[in-house]
Amino acid sequence: MTVTFGHTELPDEQQQALRKARRIQWLWMVILAATVAAMAAVMGNSQAMKTAWIEDMLSFLPPLAFLIGARVARKAPNERFPFGYHRAVGVGHLVSGVALAGVGLLLIADGGSGLLMGERPPIGAVNIFGTPVWLGWLMIIVALASCIAPVILGRIKRRLAEQLHDKVLRADADMNRADWLTGVATAAGVAGIGLGFWWADAVAALVVSVSITKDGWENIRDAISDLTDARATTVDNSAPHPIIAQINARVLQEPQVVAVQTRARDEGHVLHAEVFMQLNQATVDIAWLEELRRSCTEMDWRIQDLVLTVTQEQHGEADPTLKEQQE
Amino acid sequence: MRWRKRPVLAAGALLCAAATAGCSSIPADPEGSLEEAREGELHIGITEHPPWTEIGDSAEAAPAGTEVDLLNGYAERLGAEIIWVPGSESELLGQLAEHELDVVIGGFDSTTPWQKEGAITRPYREDPDGSQRVVLVEQGENALLMDLESYFIELEHSGQEQQ
Repeated sequence: MTVTFGHTELPDEQQQALRKARRIQWLWMVILAATVAAMAAVMGNSQAMKTAWIEDMLSFLPPLAFLIGARVARKAPNERFPFGYHRAVGVGHLVSGVALAGVGLLLIADGGSGLLMGERPPIGAVNIFGTPVWLGWLMIIVALASCIAPVILGRIKRRLAEQLHDKVLRADADMNRADWLTGVATAAGVAGIGLGFWWADAVAALVVSVSITKDGWENIRDAISDLTDARATTVDNSAPHPIIAQINARVLQEPQVVAVQTRARDEGHVLHAEVFMQLNQATVDIAWLEELRRSCTEMDWRIQDLVLTVTQEQHGEADPTLKEQQE
Repeated sequence: MRWRKRPVLAAGALLCAAATAGCSSIPADPEGSLEEAREGELHIGITEHPPWTEIGDSAEAAPAGTEVDLLNGYAERLGAEIIWVPGSESELLGQLAEHELDVVIGGFDSTTPWQKEGAITRPYREDPDGSQRVVLVEQGENALLMDLESYFIELEHSGQEQQ
């Protein structure tokens, strides 16, 4: 069966990536549910464990946003949604970013207030078959065990996100990084408490939470810039998407084109591009135009919704390439 | 690579420090309550709440009650002499937070509203009405908390063997 995002058929590589990503997200949610249950069992009086637990609950949001977003984006365009449903990915990206930043701020508030109030977390004994064992050891084991899955899955997700041009998946990989960092910090904090440093828990949480909040803020910023039609970028929003320059170069190969400007926006998995051309002749051959459009869309599966237009004046804001610059 | 290594390294260093310090000294008390009590004095705040605690009328009378017996047993195991400090719950919990007391007893159960001021222990017994009986330890003094709770677990265990 061919998988499509709206009218866009996915190449084999992306179809496989999508299937794999979906499987991994389901697997991740099962692991997450198990972690949440284990955490609740050893939580005791530790505020840090409670916070780590809430963090894990929030971790359900990005995989859900991805699964829903990737499902909704597949719907075909219709009269009410003539551009298709690709923006579902952008909405999911925003939700993931907010979840990530929320976790970060929660951890900052929690660690900061614990430190300011001089809260000294009590961690006592548990009865394991008649032998008293310090609950802190169990907490450390659970916290470290909860790191394993996000380290492995987060790396896989990061790679799949590149292939699918899926920013929700990429934000979720960031969230996984937050998950395992929090796990390590919790273990270190509990170990610090064990050594008699009551502040260790709060300090460990603070150090990690600043970096998590920064990731969250970057994802919110990127999601909003995509939703407000910023120029399309690579999946990590670090550079303009290379397809813009590629389209300009391809169009300029046509002898009748004098200059070309392309503007592209990120619709989610796919890009929507508009190409403005100035010609050295007064008439346009429709068959030539259609052929040029087809050849542009064949360059990248992400470019299916491409509008070619011939104008008198150059388009000021779109990315330009002049014939002289090419030569 | 976007991993920021510094927090991970710091955390790793703390974990290593904890591991090398060995199990015997973990958990440790920030204020050293357990060390001070061992062969020394255990300061216990007590508020009247029969049948768990009865202070008695005269100043000379020794406190009585099930929790007093429980803590007497613990002090004997520790080799500590108990200094009883009677008072109201709010007075005693204030002193507990100021490190003037080590433990406060007075028939508290696990739903006590004093859990910010003091650390509740694991229940030493469950009443027929389902309430969990606990005592309060100075917040964050985890060696003392652990030691006292180990005593409760030992009692539980020997109680089961006798049955």
